Amino acid sequence: MVWTLLALHLVGIVASIAFGRRSIHLGLRLAAVAPAATAIWAVVGLARRPEPMVYELVWVEALNLVLRFRTDSVALLMAAIVSGIGALVFIYATGYFGPDAEGGARFAGSLLAFSASMLGLVLADSIWTLFIFWELTSVTSFLLVGHNNSRPDVLLAARRALMITGGGGLALLAGLLVLGTAAETTILSELTPVDGIAGTVGAVLILLAVATKSAQVPFHVWLPGAMAAPTPVSAYLHSATMVKAGVLLMALVGGAFVDVEAWKIGGLSLGIVSLLWGGISALRQVDAKLILAWGTVSQLGLLVTLLALGTGKAVFAAMSMLVAHALFKATMFLVVGEVDIRTGTRQISELGNLYRTMPFAAASAVLAGVSMAGAPPLLGFATKEAAIEAALGAPGAEGVIALSAISVGAVLTVAYTVRFLWCTFGPGPDIAVKDRRLAMTIPAAILALTGVAGFVGLGMVNTVVGRAATELNEKSSVYELLRWPGLKTAFVISMSALAIGIGLAAVLIRRPIVAPPAATGANIADRGLDGVLALARTTTGRVQHGSLPVYVATMALVASLASIPFFTDVRFGHLEWWDHPLQMVFAATIALTALAGAFVRSRLGAALTLGAVGIAVSGLFVAQGAPDLALTQLLIETIVVVGFVTGLGHLNREFPRIAHTWRNVRLGVSAASGIAVVVALASASATPSGVAPVEALARESVDVGGGNNVVNVILTDMRALDTMGEVVVLAVVALGIAALASSPNASEEAHIEEAAS
Amino acid sequence: MIATRSPIVRLGIQAASPLALLAGVYLLFAGHNQPGGGFAAGLVFGAVVALRTVTGLPTPLDPNTLLAAGVAVLCLTAVAPLLGGNELLDQQVFSFNVPLLGKVKSGSALPFDIGVTAVVVGMIMALLDGLGAPRLAKATQPTYPLSPTIDTTD
Repeated sequence: MVWTLLALHLVGIVASIAFGRRSIHLGLRLAAVAPAATAIWAVVGLARRPEPMVYELVWVEALNLVLRFRTDSVALLMAAIVSGIGALVFIYATGYFGPDAEGGARFAGSLLAFSASMLGLVLADSIWTLFIFWELTSVTSFLLVGHNNSRPDVLLAARRALMITGGGGLALLAGLLVLGTAAETTILSELTPVDGIAGTVGAVLILLAVATKSAQVPFHVWLPGAMAAPTPVSAYLHSATMVKAGVLLMALVGGAFVDVEAWKIGGLSLGIVSLLWGGISALRQVDAKLILAWGTVSQLGLLVTLLALGTGKAVFAAMSMLVAHALFKATMFLVVGEVDIRTGTRQISELGNLYRTMPFAAASAVLAGVSMAGAPPLLGFATKEAAIEAALGAPGAEGVIALSAISVGAVLTVAYTVRFLWCTFGPGPDIAVKDRRLAMTIPAAILALTGVAGFVGLGMVNTVVGRAATELNEKSSVYELLRWPGLKTAFVISMSALAIGIGLAAVLIRRPIVAPPAATGANIADRGLDGVLALARTTTGRVQHGSLPVYVATMALVASLASIPFFTDVRFGHLEWWDHPLQMVFAATIALTALAGAFVRSRLGAALTLGAVGIAVSGLFVAQGAPDLALTQLLIETIVVVGFVTGLGHLNREFPRIAHTWRNVRLGVSAASGIAVVVALASASATPSGVAPVEALARESVDVGGGNNVVNVILTDMRALDTMGEVVVLAVVALGIAALASSPNASEEAHIEEAAS
Repeated sequence: MIATRSPIVRLGIQAASPLALLAGVYLLFAGHNQPGGGFAAGLVFGAVVALRTVTGLPTPLDPNTLLAAGVAVLCLTAVAPLLGGNELLDQQVFSFNVPLLGKVKSGSALPFDIGVTAVVVGMIMALLDGLGAPRLAKATQPTYPLSPTIDTTD
């Protein structure tokens, strides 16, 4: 079934791109099919609770490289959220985008590609499968954030998001390697607790990945920028699903790190700082969408805090909070998108009286807001109660710290929620509102009502979330969400937070709205990235200077230095002057012509002397008894001389004069290479490595290859595969030369650009 | 370029081309038992092509066709033994009687060598193209019959 659904997504991607070109709305509706089918499958699975299935496709068994999915309660719950919200977002997008919006096909295709990646991520059961889909979500998120690719600020935000989440992906790869090795399995559901150094290193690396993906301080800087994306993307990726990937990862591997101190300390610090800083920053924002984005940072911080506590109660609270957050935050974003489209602005100072002009959107927002603030009688209330209970039940100092952070966080959450609702929908300047678009209103209302239904049918939520939490932590099975907890400590804390939060919001609403300070963190991230790019450019400029003589000199010098270890092996005693007197003649010719080549002033002369050197070398081969080698060498020299002469047609006849120093450097490099060759040959002949297998080769050549020319039989028969490889390389080189030669050079390029403009 | 302006060089190369081609063919076939082989034959053909190109004489083939054909022949020779249940690149030797020549022995090494030859020639032609040899030769092409006022200062 999983394969079918993934295939359906792929078909959907192709179809939505193909049809989206003609009509963006058709593309988006086609794209909604696969998520809708997946959501139905997941909900049915959750309700009927069949045995968890494992779907496996083995690639390299020895390396445990498998594509492996599982359908247990956690996977099905996440799949239901991802695909359910996904289907609604696609419908919503048909209202968000006008019928003639730019790049509609690209948008529908990328969004469905993201949906498929996210589905793969939540169903993954092998750490490699998880990693692949994790990276795919980063890439598709980049495409979606950068959807309006003509705006430089959007491109900057997209790049920032990709670099930070991509960097986290590298940490994830390393962390999963450490974890997989330490736990001796790559199957997520079979992970065993790890400890020691491997546990600490793995925990830190995976927390890094979690922090980048789930926008935890200080890696959160990409999330506010990512709000440059179209609102359907923000609602889907940056509130409900992708940013939850880090939290999900934490939940899945949390069991393996129960004994690791770094996991708990690191997770708690990340979570608590994000919870508080996100809440404070949300209070300072004046853009309705950014208030929600910072609120997401804060809520994700709460989830990370709970999972870092790691007790059964905390895991249960985290899972229920995750469900509630996906519902109310997606609703909020959808409503903000509708406000944006219908009024043309998201600045809270310009919005007012929308409760009268946009009553349906306002109702959805209030329902979601009550849930977000954790006020009864909605799902958010029950889950916040569970979170406070979990912190109350946590042992020792960490429990006290977590409890105070969650309480303060609850106050901040109430405050920014109230401020958001009041400033957006409450009394204020009148603003013109366009007609309602049902495609936008209905998905938001459905999500908001699901939050209500969740509280009404709390028993059902309990069962589903409880099962999922129990799979992650066995101790979670005894907990449940309460509709009315009674006058207990948690309830008192929750209600006090509500009261203080409303008071704080009332104070803030009366104060004038001022623009928040510039995002320094984002600027630092961008500057760092620019710095790296500048460094790369400088380094490339230094190393790849484009001077051919310097390249050659560098290569020759490095090759010469490689001969240094062989100096000790040189024995001159056993070297003979010659095997045949003719060799002396050729050697002298080589020396003389080479010397002449170094001194001759004309380029043609140099080419000819080089040819003479080569021909004399082939004479040496003849004298040594290697006619095949000699023949090849001779022919090569001929071709090379013709090539030289052709190339010289482009150049001056004489070499240019060169600076004195540079000439000395060249002399030095030449001398070094000469010495290196002598040393290499002398040391090689001083340490013979066995007897050459001439006899055997000659016999085999005639018997097997059916030829008397041993060299040729080796080339075409015994080592035919090598020859084939070399010939293919030759062909590829030839293609490369053709491509290089046909690409325009700098001056021609300038000419083309001139003609085009 | 000097070569295009000298009718002697031009005619000489034109006259020598068939002989050189013959030499190349000999090297190709003799290669299995005597010095020579596909690579050497390719170099001879390549030299012929190179000399013809720089003197502005026509060359019948283009490098891409040769490269593609060469690699295709090589791959076919490599895969063909698999059909007969033998190993990749396994050498098959045949001997048969040909009128006038008598008993001839040959093998699948021959097509293999032909493939090598084609790729080597293609490579040389691509190199010459890359160096701009055909353009250069065209630019300095003399008009025949040679006029007495031809410019020889360059």
